[in-house]
Amino acid sequence: MAVALPAVVEELLSEMAAAVQESARIPDEHLLSLKFVFGSSAIQALDLVDRQTITLISSPSGRRVYQVLGSSGKTYICLASCHYCSCPAFAFLVLRKSESLLCKHLLAVYLSQVVRTCQQLCVSDKQLTDIFLMEKRQEN
Amino acid sequence: MAETLRRVLSAGSAGSAAWPGEENTAEAGPPLLLLGAPGSGKTALLFAAALEAAGEGRGPVLFLTRRPLQSLPCGTGAARDPMRLQKIRFQYPSSTRELFHLLCSAHETPGPAPSLLLLDGLEEYLAEDPGAEESAYLAALLLDTAAYFSHRLGPGGDCGLMVALQTQEVADSGDALHLALLQRYFPAQCWLQPEASGSGEHRLRVCLEPGGLGPRTEWWVTFQPGGKMTISLLQTQAGDPSSDKGSSSGGHP
Repeated sequence: MAVALPAVVEELLSEMAAAVQESARIPDEHLLSLKFVFGSSAIQALDLVDRQTITLISSPSGRRVYQVLGSSGKTYICLASCHYCSCPAFAFLVLRKSESLLCKHLLAVYLSQVVRTCQQLCVSDKQLTDIFLMEKRQEN
Repeated sequence: MAETLRRVLSAGSAGSAAWPGEENTAEAGPPLLLLGAPGSGKTALLFAAALEAAGEGRGPVLFLTRRPLQSLPCGTGAARDPMRLQKIRFQYPSSTRELFHLLCSAHETPGPAPSLLLLDGLEEYLAEDPGAEESAYLAALLLDTAAYFSHRLGPGGDCGLMVALQTQEVADSGDALHLALLQRYFPAQCWLQPEASGSGEHRLRVCLEPGGLGPRTEWWVTFQPGGKMTISLLQTQAGDPSSDKGSSSGGHP
């Protein structure tokens, strides 16, 4: 299984984005589909979006990365270009066990793109490097 | 990246048919993992891909390797064209920490963005720091760096990514886990299998699986005693997963 979302999930997310554009809210049937596909992660991810815990960090270089403040108070990074979150659930349930498609943080990032409620933060190129490197240090 | 490698191999083998839409595209294709036992010609193929991309009139090529190449593989026709060689930029991260730093700070490097990112000897970097989380982050960062280069190349820009990983004759469970993890990030794979052959030449079977529904293709690549590389097409299988899934995985180590 590749590190990408199945087409059906991509489709759901883009339908949600279209609906949000039109009516400024996520229709109930989409919320139900979300719950059906992702189980309890769906609720947790929506909660992360509601609490505005997702920040899109960018530098003048144009490189970007998402930072999510988890419920435990720890921050995790989610790469903007491919499927990766630095949280333990992603490492274990997604990568090692293949039990989940994604963790709640990544789902929250995708949902924040749908509802366009992401915090934005501009940092220097050097600071962005440190954010990428910090993730590595935390793992050790 | 799979498409750059396919162009290298297709151009080298006379009479191999191109499939529809393939000609004249400079599309790099999905990230590719180049797999083979020690001495199976991974570095030579990486270098051939570097020369191919350097000749495509796009950005430079960034070649990451732990140590300088011992000798430049002769390759096929295009090899040693000084104009092409000049476009290949070598960097030698000597530790996993240095490799991480290079990828994390790729956006701080001025100058034109590369159109191809190559990494040789991934196994050496993984061996230094064998955690699965670490490997996943390294793979994801390689993809993120290539995606960032694509962004810098502008609309239609596409920076390819090709990484060589040495496989063991007898893989233990840890290796299998690593490989399964890496394969998630590298949908295209190319397997190199050396064949026994006499007279000082070195022949290998190259099997390219471009990921998705693309056709699986096999070539013979022969290195003459002098290092000259010749390529011939072995077979192409239409990308129908229902008919060849069973056989396509059977031949792999």
